[in-house]
Amino acid sequence: MRLGISWDTDRFDDAASGWQEILSEAEQADKLGFHSVWIGEGRESAADISAPSIFLTYLARLTNNVQLRISGRRVTHALPAHIAEEVAVLDTFSRGRAGISFAGASAQGVPSAHVHEMIDFVTMAFASDELRYRGDHIRFPAHTPDDAPKGASVPESEGPYLAQWDWGPETPDFLAITPKPYVPHTPVAVEIDDDETLDWAAKNGISPMIGAEVATDEAADRLARYRKTADAAGRARREVEAVLERRIALDGDSDAHTLGGSPSDILNAIRDLRGRTGISHFVWRRNGAVPMDLYRFASEIEMLLQA
Amino acid sequence: MEFWTTSIGISKMRPIPSALGDGYDKFVNDAVEAEALGFDGYGSGEHHFMYDEFMPIPLQAMAAVASKTSKIRLSTNAMLLPLYDPIEAAEIASTLDVLSNGRVSLGLGMGYRPYEFDGFGTKKTTRGARLREAMEVLRLATTQESFSYQGKHYQYENERLQPRSIQRPIDLWFCGGTSLQGARRAGAAGLGYWLANSPYDHTENIVKEYRQAGEEAGFAPSELRIASFKDVCIGNTMAEAEGLRQMLMDSFYDEHILGYGYLVDEDGKNIYNPPKDHPLYERFISSLYCGTVEMVIEELKRYEALGMDMIFLPSQQRETIAKEILPEFRK
Repeated sequence: MRLGISWDTDRFDDAASGWQEILSEAEQADKLGFHSVWIGEGRESAADISAPSIFLTYLARLTNNVQLRISGRRVTHALPAHIAEEVAVLDTFSRGRAGISFAGASAQGVPSAHVHEMIDFVTMAFASDELRYRGDHIRFPAHTPDDAPKGASVPESEGPYLAQWDWGPETPDFLAITPKPYVPHTPVAVEIDDDETLDWAAKNGISPMIGAEVATDEAADRLARYRKTADAAGRARREVEAVLERRIALDGDSDAHTLGGSPSDILNAIRDLRGRTGISHFVWRRNGAVPMDLYRFASEIEMLLQA
Repeated sequence: MEFWTTSIGISKMRPIPSALGDGYDKFVNDAVEAEALGFDGYGSGEHHFMYDEFMPIPLQAMAAVASKTSKIRLSTNAMLLPLYDPIEAAEIASTLDVLSNGRVSLGLGMGYRPYEFDGFGTKKTTRGARLREAMEVLRLATTQESFSYQGKHYQYENERLQPRSIQRPIDLWFCGGTSLQGARRAGAAGLGYWLANSPYDHTENIVKEYRQAGEEAGFAPSELRIASFKDVCIGNTMAEAEGLRQMLMDSFYDEHILGYGYLVDEDGKNIYNPPKDHPLYERFISSLYCGTVEMVIEELKRYEALGMDMIFLPSQQRETIAKEILPEFRK
């Protein structure tokens, strides 16, 4: 089981001070053995982070161990090639620690097919050299014709190599997005907030993520349905990581979104969710710092979840 | 006059194959060294879909640099603004501006490689207008709490930038190549103008055109800032300096200057793979200044006398430049 942390940013008065707290906690998490930090894309409050890849690339040089996950990435605020590029650059600066989770369709007011196309495009860009893409929402390069195969395609016959500096003013039909991520299979997830996305992600081997805004019972139900659909489609459990984000109240009370109680209570609550849903990555959404709480979680919960 | 610089590492180079991850490390470490040596700024360029895996998002490279430096300005040279949604560009710039405590300087260019435009679905023919509109959007986004903008290519209604940048506005430079037309446009808009490598005589003409256009548009001389890339090759003898220049041409520049339409005539037409006796290529070669330390100092003093605010020096010979040349400008 991997354990990570993420942050509510709406409790900070301004970006400069709030971000310092996030950076400090991320560095602590890196040293304490947490597996990941997640920076969500947001634009509502003063300390929201609209460019998580910039924030995480800054953090990449301050940490050595934690995975650096972009979360809630919206398809409407960046061009498709930029999203593939930002993940690859982060992965190279951090030597293989990058990952990305896309926001669900309803959270950004787009058709679910738009989100699916973006994930299909980005993952194909990671896995291919020259490619083109024809979708309803993405076309790469722009001159890709209407009769090109639907989705991603690669050249069938490559012919002799023509160096880029000899292309002249013509654009070839297929382009390679570079650099490539440092690792061959960068973690890519999507927030499951509609049935179409649950079905599509489960059948296509895309990892599911459920954020802290969803109540725990509903989150468990969605993840269980995801697993059932994936099993029926013949997808192996090892292909994906199921990610669940919850709030934690050490020595506090549980509620619909929060796992509370003693470290032992929280340990058992996470184990129970793992048994019910098959989660392999648990993320603690932090909404306030309590002295030593990261240390206590690492010492009394994280290690005991491993075996 | 400030001195900014860069380093290799944000792309691979065919004559010296190396791991890209090591290159990224070098890029950050060289920035730390440049800051310690007294350079005022450090930057990354931008290209896409490249065989040499050139850095596609320069502000991301500068985010890595920001975490290990504290004073040096973090620049793009250039960020190809028409390939971004302007709000996306403003967001990544303001995010870095907050993380770096207000050290971002955006050198903004229009781009010239056709396949880059095709990859992002932007018409190359609209790049000049898009650049000018997007720069205005950046200025508005980083000065006002909320703003509206109605341009031909970009429209926004009650838009609000998150996060709020530290600099109000963020530092903007128009990277206009070597054309007189670009200089006039930048001057008329009161934008800082950052010109590409040019021989001194051409630079002098550019500065004159820029200032004249700016003053005619009502901008005070103090509002008109000008900068230049200036590659220098330093040797104990002229032959040694020219040998270094030839090595640079063979290892990097010929491929990039000849092949991708970098050279542009006064009508704005890109020239692909011209012969090496083409006047524009010869002008480019002569813009890479060769000389001894004393000659380079004398040349840069001429730029200082033109009122240059900043000179962007190459990555090679950084220590020699810092120890033997920069002190002559710090007295």
